[in-house]
Amino acid sequence: MSSKYHQTSHLTAQNQLIQWINEAGMSEGTKKSNLLRKIVEVMLHQAPQTVPLYMENILSFVSDKSTEVRKQVVAFIEELSKKYPEYLPKIIGQLQLLVIDTVIAVQKRAIQAASIVYRNVLIWLCKGKADHAEMQYVWDHLTKLKLLILNMIDSENEGIRTHSIKFLEEVVLLQSPSEGSGEDFSLDNIPTHLPFLKRRTLEEESEHIFELLIKFHNSQHISSVNLMACMTTLCLLAKVRPKYMPRVVQALGDLHTTLPPTLSQSQVNSVRKHLKMLLLNLIKHPSSNDMLPHLTQLLADIGMTAQEINKAIPKERRNKRVNEIKNDDTPAKRLRVDSPQSNSQGSDSNSRSDFVYEDDSSQQSVVAVTKATVTEDSIFDGLNNVENVVSLVTHTLVNHLPINIPSGFFTAYKPIPNSGSKAQKRNLAKMLLALIKDEPAPIPPPVQPQPSLSDLAAKIPLLRDDDEKITLKNAVAKLQESTKAEKQIENAVSKLMEETRQEHLKEEERKEKEKEKLVPPPTPTIPKLKHRVKLLKLQELTRPIPKEIKEKLMLQAVERILRAEQDCAIGGASQIRTKFITIFASSYTSDIRDLVLNYILEDPVNRIDLALSWLYEEYAIMQGFNRHPVTLKSFNEKHDQNYNQLLCALVTQICERGDPSLENSKDVLMRKIYLESPVVTGEAIDYLKHLVTEEKMALLALDLLEELCIMRPPRAHKYVPSLVAHVLNENEEIRDVALKSTVKIYKQSTESAKRVIEKHALLYLGFISLSMPPPELVNMRQVRVWTDDLYKLCLNLVMALFPEKEELIVEVARVYGCSGAEAKRCVLRCAEGPLRAAAAAPIPSSDENEAPPGALRPSFQALLDECPRGAETLLTRLVHILTEKAPPSHELVSRVRELYATRVSDVRFLIPVLNGLSKKEILAALPKLIKLNPVVVKEVFNKLLGLQNPNEEHSPVSPEDLLVELHLIDPSKADLKYIIKATAICFAEKNTYTQDVLSAVLQRLAEEPDIPVLMMRSVLQALTLHPGLAPLALDILRLLIDKEVWTHKVAWEGWVKCCERLCGAGMGAGGGAAVGGACERDGTCALLRSLPVHAAAALPPHLQQLCSDPQFPQPANPLEPLPPGME
Amino acid sequence: MNRSMEAHAFLVKKGFKVKSFGTGEKVKLPGASADRPNCYEFGVPYDDIYNDLLEKDKTYYTQNGLLHMLDRNRRIKPYPEKFQVSTERFDVIITCEERVYDQVIEWFGSKRSVYNQPVHVINIDIQDNHEEATIGAFLISDMVTKMAQSDDLDNDIDELLHDFEAKCHRPILNCIMFY
Repeated sequence: MSSKYHQTSHLTAQNQLIQWINEAGMSEGTKKSNLLRKIVEVMLHQAPQTVPLYMENILSFVSDKSTEVRKQVVAFIEELSKKYPEYLPKIIGQLQLLVIDTVIAVQKRAIQAASIVYRNVLIWLCKGKADHAEMQYVWDHLTKLKLLILNMIDSENEGIRTHSIKFLEEVVLLQSPSEGSGEDFSLDNIPTHLPFLKRRTLEEESEHIFELLIKFHNSQHISSVNLMACMTTLCLLAKVRPKYMPRVVQALGDLHTTLPPTLSQSQVNSVRKHLKMLLLNLIKHPSSNDMLPHLTQLLADIGMTAQEINKAIPKERRNKRVNEIKNDDTPAKRLRVDSPQSNSQGSDSNSRSDFVYEDDSSQQSVVAVTKATVTEDSIFDGLNNVENVVSLVTHTLVNHLPINIPSGFFTAYKPIPNSGSKAQKRNLAKMLLALIKDEPAPIPPPVQPQPSLSDLAAKIPLLRDDDEKITLKNAVAKLQESTKAEKQIENAVSKLMEETRQEHLKEEERKEKEKEKLVPPPTPTIPKLKHRVKLLKLQELTRPIPKEIKEKLMLQAVERILRAEQDCAIGGASQIRTKFITIFASSYTSDIRDLVLNYILEDPVNRIDLALSWLYEEYAIMQGFNRHPVTLKSFNEKHDQNYNQLLCALVTQICERGDPSLENSKDVLMRKIYLESPVVTGEAIDYLKHLVTEEKMALLALDLLEELCIMRPPRAHKYVPSLVAHVLNENEEIRDVALKSTVKIYKQSTESAKRVIEKHALLYLGFISLSMPPPELVNMRQVRVWTDDLYKLCLNLVMALFPEKEELIVEVARVYGCSGAEAKRCVLRCAEGPLRAAAAAPIPSSDENEAPPGALRPSFQALLDECPRGAETLLTRLVHILTEKAPPSHELVSRVRELYATRVSDVRFLIPVLNGLSKKEILAALPKLIKLNPVVVKEVFNKLLGLQNPNEEHSPVSPEDLLVELHLIDPSKADLKYIIKATAICFAEKNTYTQDVLSAVLQRLAEEPDIPVLMMRSVLQALTLHPGLAPLALDILRLLIDKEVWTHKVAWEGWVKCCERLCGAGMGAGGGAAVGGACERDGTCALLRSLPVHAAAALPPHLQQLCSDPQFPQPANPLEPLPPGME
Repeated sequence: MNRSMEAHAFLVKKGFKVKSFGTGEKVKLPGASADRPNCYEFGVPYDDIYNDLLEKDKTYYTQNGLLHMLDRNRRIKPYPEKFQVSTERFDVIITCEERVYDQVIEWFGSKRSVYNQPVHVINIDIQDNHEEATIGAFLISDMVTKMAQSDDLDNDIDELLHDFEAKCHRPILNCIMFY
């Protein structure tokens, strides 16, 4: 029943297959490949009986246009070769087609399958069940396939190379004897009865292919992936076929010392890591026993510590190794370290071995053995004899050592890590044997004379005698060609090869760069990848020139270009020449820089344009507009500094060269460099600043600085400090120029530059508040104390700026406030002019509207608002200036008033605005005002009285009021003498104080309830000035009687005096003429008589007389009382 | 479990066919102290690990983000897998740490290839924390996208990785191994 079930299931499977195959024939692409996958799956695993039926259907898809489908076919072939080798004759041809498919992915899949098929074919052959002719057919095809793939190791495509490496690994494995390890298929399984299958041939072939792999592995331009694949392959071979172990270890060792120069840093890391992993794998493998010293040395070279290495070595082998080292370490054998042939140990190249051969041949004469009898062991024994070795060495030293050390020696020579060990001695013996027998050294390393490559090529065709051999020959020859060429040149540039990898890489890059720069890039659109592949090819044909030679050549080339100035001009290539020179100068060594710089300086007038274009090049590099030249990286300099260095070198050299012919053009050159260079660095500015101190260049330098600031606004703030610093210069001329330039820049330049200038101005201003002159001032001069000149110096900038920025006055006032008296005086003096100028100038207004006349300038307003402590005098001065030309505005008055009330107690502050104040205020201030310096008082009165008043302003206080008020001042507030003086000033102003005015005053005074102290004095004075006032005086006297004038001592005296005056009596012997007329005299007499008795008694005698005799004034008798009836 | 799974999640969303593996002996997660990590066998479901940690110290493992991470992982696949026991053959293997890269190439190096099918092993160093894992996932996704765009990866990989390395400023290791 079960068989029946099977049958039915087979039937359904078969039906299904037919259906799928039909469908597949009609569908396309992915669907087709999916169907195909199902078909193969079912056919091979569920319905094997259908394989012969439908195999052809599937194989026919080999020419399908879909890649995936073709890959499915490959997979099918692979499976088939494993499960049904009997169909191999049918599929082998298809596989061959697929290996040369046009699509790389299919090719790769086919190569992958080929290695499996190859194995299966050999197994199938060994079973020997098939027909002889069929076997022959398959083998022939397989050999063709093998040759095809062998050729592919040189393919353009990296993936194909990788796959073919893997395929070759399989071939080598299958065609080499297993040496006893063999559970796996190996050469030993190959039957002997097949005529076309010869073990020996196969083994030779595998040997050649192995050599090919080693060659490929050691090639200088292998890609990292290929290299790692190759390394893995070699290590696998070494493990499975121990006979390859020494050569593999040798190859890996060589790889470690000279990694391909085309690898990038991370690829190098990957390769190193891979190498380490493989070596560790090898060291763990039992077959590596003999090579243990080599392997440990290599691992140590890679950077593993002894402990790490020891840990990796399987336990059972550790002790052995230690012993070995101990045994070998005998003094006698150390001698050989010095012998020249010892260098053969690590060398791997033909060139190096050539050198060794020469030396070694000499040894032949010493070792007393014949060619016929010699064996490796006998030599080995000989080497163990100390005497032999000593005589060998001495003989060589004396007779065969070249006098000069061959150039290759240093590069080829490597210290022998395991010198004196058994392994090394054995190697040496082998080498000697080979020499003695006049044949290339046998397989074992380390000498490894390269098996002649032509032999290799010659031998491979032995395998097959048909046309195909040419293909293989070509493949191998191709490989050889490149490697041969390599070897030859390697000798010449072996020194270069010793350079570190990084250096090498840079060389490549530089070459590339050079090409990029010197010739227009041929096709910039070429994808990078392609480009790189091309490069590889180029590498094989050319060799890098050693660095020193390169540099020398470059230098010479530049020299030639420099010399060709005229030729280029004639040929119209001067622009290109300039471009060349700038590129060379900016991108290469300092030698070239120096060369070009010197060239320019030889004739700077004519070569300044070259210098400028070089500057621009450097600038472009510095700013990153140009790609940074790779070539600069190797020189350990700060390339960002190149621009700066060049600029400074140019200006300093031009300035300081004592070339007389240059004197006249210095000016122009400097100007050109500074104004035309892309950016002027700080250092170059410093140099300009320094130049100011040099007599000849000072003015030029200042001029340049000014121009720089104005022409290069964005950086003006960086340049301007160098200029501003010179406003303190001791040289007056420089100072003036600097000051003027600064102001000019201030007017024109950017905000930031302005800020810098202001900052400096304020800094210098601040100096004046210091007790000692700061170093900035002192350093230049030998003075240690402040002088007026120094103060002025410090102020000059800020004062120069003041007209531009009036707000500075606030700062000035601030500093003024905390400065000493001397400094203050200086500030007042210096500020006078600018302040006046400002006061006279129209107020700057932001909008179109004119500021109202008389309005305060904003800066002054700010100053008044702030009123820094200690700056009151400055403020006073300012207010003075403001009121000189115009009456004080209402605003000003109110501010001054406010300040006076809160801050400034000095009454002088009010003086300028007196006329703006109210009457009440003036009168309140009056007591203080009259106490001031007489000159000031006079000025005050001038103001109050409207004298010398150009503005026709109206004083709030009338002269009349003023005089009255003066009389009414409380004597406790102001000393009497001040009041007297003040009144005196009034009386002196006869034009103001006319008779009318005085009469009004006197009238008012008389009406006062209390008699003012000075009233009578004033009456008398008025009387003196204006005799016409006599009647008024009489009236007053009368009034005073009513007030009982006799009770006031001072008034009474005055009253009396007045009476005397009026009646002309009592003025001494001479007697003054009476002021009044007869009428007044009579009046007076009447007055006197009207006095009460006790008052009259107090009168002087002559007046008393008058009282008694009204008719005739007589000397009065003061003792005589008035008759009672007289009252 | 952090970096690789972050990248796994990211790449799956982008439609790549991707798997993630551990290479160590056990699945190790940070524990309460540095010397006492939480160890699990490969194959123990994320669910179980999640519940185990939840039971041990819910707040602690919530705070250090482990629970969150496990929660994410169990949405992606049921349990952690070990690379060395996987029988699948991949085109590209990406490791996030040099130690893991070493283990992977060591494993390849220790066995004979059967199918001769090449695989690119690539290491990109990513620090083991949440932020770096996220950044790393982006980087890996970038790299893989570029690879997917290549017609012939075997041929382009050198160039591609070189460019990518310059772009991401991280050292990259790569080699080719065979299944």
